[in-house]
Amino acid sequence: MELIILHLYPDCMSLYGEYANVAVLRRHLEAAGVAVTVCQAGLDDVPDFSGVGFVYMGAGTERGQKWALAALGPHAPALKELLDQGAPALFTGNAMELLGQSVTDRAGKVWPCLGLAEFTTQETDRRVPGDVIAYTSLWDEPVVGFMNKCSHTAGVTSPLFDRLTLGEGNEGMGGGEGYVSGNLFATHLTGPVLVKNPAFTRLLLTRIFAHNGWPLPDSLPVLTHEQEAYQMTLRELSARTGG
Amino acid sequence: MRVFLAIVACKLLRLAGKLLGRGSSLPGQFALKVCPDVLGRVKLPARIIAVTGSNGKTSTVEMIAAILAADGRQVVYNKEGSNQIEGVATLILSRCTLGGRVRGEVLLLESDERYARHIFRWFHPTHFVITNLYRDQLTRNGHPQWVYESIQPAIYPDEILVLNADDPLVSCFARGHDPAKVKWFGLEECSVSAQEHRGTYHDGARCPVCGGKLAYTCYHYAHIGHYRCEACGHHRPQPDFAVTQLDLAQGRLTINGQVELDLAFRSIYNVYNILAAWSVCALCGVEQGVMAGVINNYLLQNGRMVTFALGDHKGVLLTSKHENSVAYDTNLAYLEGLGQPCEVMVIVDAVSRKYFTGETSWLWDIDFDRLACPHVERVWLCGRYASDLALRLDYSQVPRDKLVIQPDIAAAAEALKKEGGLPLYVVTCFSDRDKLLHLTQRD
Repeated sequence: MELIILHLYPDCMSLYGEYANVAVLRRHLEAAGVAVTVCQAGLDDVPDFSGVGFVYMGAGTERGQKWALAALGPHAPALKELLDQGAPALFTGNAMELLGQSVTDRAGKVWPCLGLAEFTTQETDRRVPGDVIAYTSLWDEPVVGFMNKCSHTAGVTSPLFDRLTLGEGNEGMGGGEGYVSGNLFATHLTGPVLVKNPAFTRLLLTRIFAHNGWPLPDSLPVLTHEQEAYQMTLRELSARTGG
Repeated sequence: MRVFLAIVACKLLRLAGKLLGRGSSLPGQFALKVCPDVLGRVKLPARIIAVTGSNGKTSTVEMIAAILAADGRQVVYNKEGSNQIEGVATLILSRCTLGGRVRGEVLLLESDERYARHIFRWFHPTHFVITNLYRDQLTRNGHPQWVYESIQPAIYPDEILVLNADDPLVSCFARGHDPAKVKWFGLEECSVSAQEHRGTYHDGARCPVCGGKLAYTCYHYAHIGHYRCEACGHHRPQPDFAVTQLDLAQGRLTINGQVELDLAFRSIYNVYNILAAWSVCALCGVEQGVMAGVINNYLLQNGRMVTFALGDHKGVLLTSKHENSVAYDTNLAYLEGLGQPCEVMVIVDAVSRKYFTGETSWLWDIDFDRLACPHVERVWLCGRYASDLALRLDYSQVPRDKLVIQPDIAAAAEALKKEGGLPLYVVTCFSDRDKLLHLTQRD
């Protein structure tokens, strides 16, 4: 079992420890017996999508996101083809916005995006940095994390998280957060989302195994400290919400 | 009349606050309600110096105040570090005559980087010092580029900008500004400089102007160094005030090849704080001898490190800032360079004492590989977030058998008291340090 992870634009889409998402996924895969190769494609590189089994792009600054969009432009068809084939992928922070129809910046300029999903994004003057507790129907445990965005994303019909008890959804308070379609996962959560949520990592693992037709191990790896760290953050954040 | 009322109200509340031991923002807050434009209507000193940036604001302001005072200038400044508009209003109005004139020759302000535009809407600094911009408290600040854009509206054409030439983002503030009104400070290539970038992330990878690849001839720390954009040419300007020689180990530096100074704190941060203070004071006409005298004697006032004893361990506190990987990396670099056998304790218990957050992404921005050296014999991971630290260290080069995971700080202190006698270095934040220090014997 071999897998290539393509990490897109870490040179401009690395707001806050995003590399750790790739590192933790890699470690889980290796613990499950998969030989992993991580390929990074920077702004000056031509990303090689051939044989890629997982795609990741993290959060960036608003400007970094536009640079990534421009760099990705010529390669969008190859990425689309890969995702259409069902290759699992994760886009975190404002990388999620690139999957939609467009991003309108604060000056009113409309930036056409990949068009893989129906939603559109409007950047605002208001920044929302803050802790998050979210719930999804895809796994049992609540999701914990951190959001650091300045945008509203409208028109998401299939959010990744149905409900938040802390933090803002795609369109502000209330409503869902993120986007999911098949094996394509996206959320505005920023930083090492997978480190903080071992259940999310395990779900991605099952999707990667299924997509490759590999038999799923009887039990998925549980790595040391992950669960304890998750529980502590959940306890701290829940105390905040009175839950 | 409203100005008068605002001044009186501020003075009375300030007096009451002092008696009750309360903070310094409430009087200003009230005065701004009475007269919202009061800061634009009082008569301010002819010289107004403002200092902003991610790190070093308070230290730089204190050094400037000490130099100007030694030069015989009457300085009004926010000693308590209350750097948002309410605190600044309290400072200014409580130092006003009832006729609305601020007593003093120089108004010196530490300004919160996110609030500078609100403060300087009413008056402009004559000299605006910007120290650096990097990842600091992202739970409040968003990201450095966002902070840059927050400061930008506080830049007016009449201001003299005193900028860190070595920070590619800070140097962008000069774009569109009259070049005659921009003064630069920087560190020349020296013993601390490296050819390769070191760290888990590189905020100087891309040019802040055009997104092109930024090439460095040397790095001093993080993204601070000598840079040039291969695409648009954005580059480190030649500094007006430069540290031309630096020996951190001996605690000596030379400014503009002429003046030698002693360093109170032997950290790269302190070098930049001194440079910033030196630059703005020189621009205000202070003689070199006066500045050198103050900086050299700073050793006596502020040169003490926090040291303690824990059983047979001699301890040193290396104060970092949670949510600030650059502060951590600076301390870890110091430990890496020690060369003497030691133990290290990292404490993360409350991420912030000012606001609530459970945010730990910043742990992944810290270069813990620096602790993977033979002389660091054990690494204690303590506090509520010990598991997060353990998880992070699990992805570092530090051997697992050197890690001791003990969330309970008192239990860790007790265990250390009972065994061993290696020097102990404690890396933690202001918010958490007393949780260990109160269990130790202070020197």
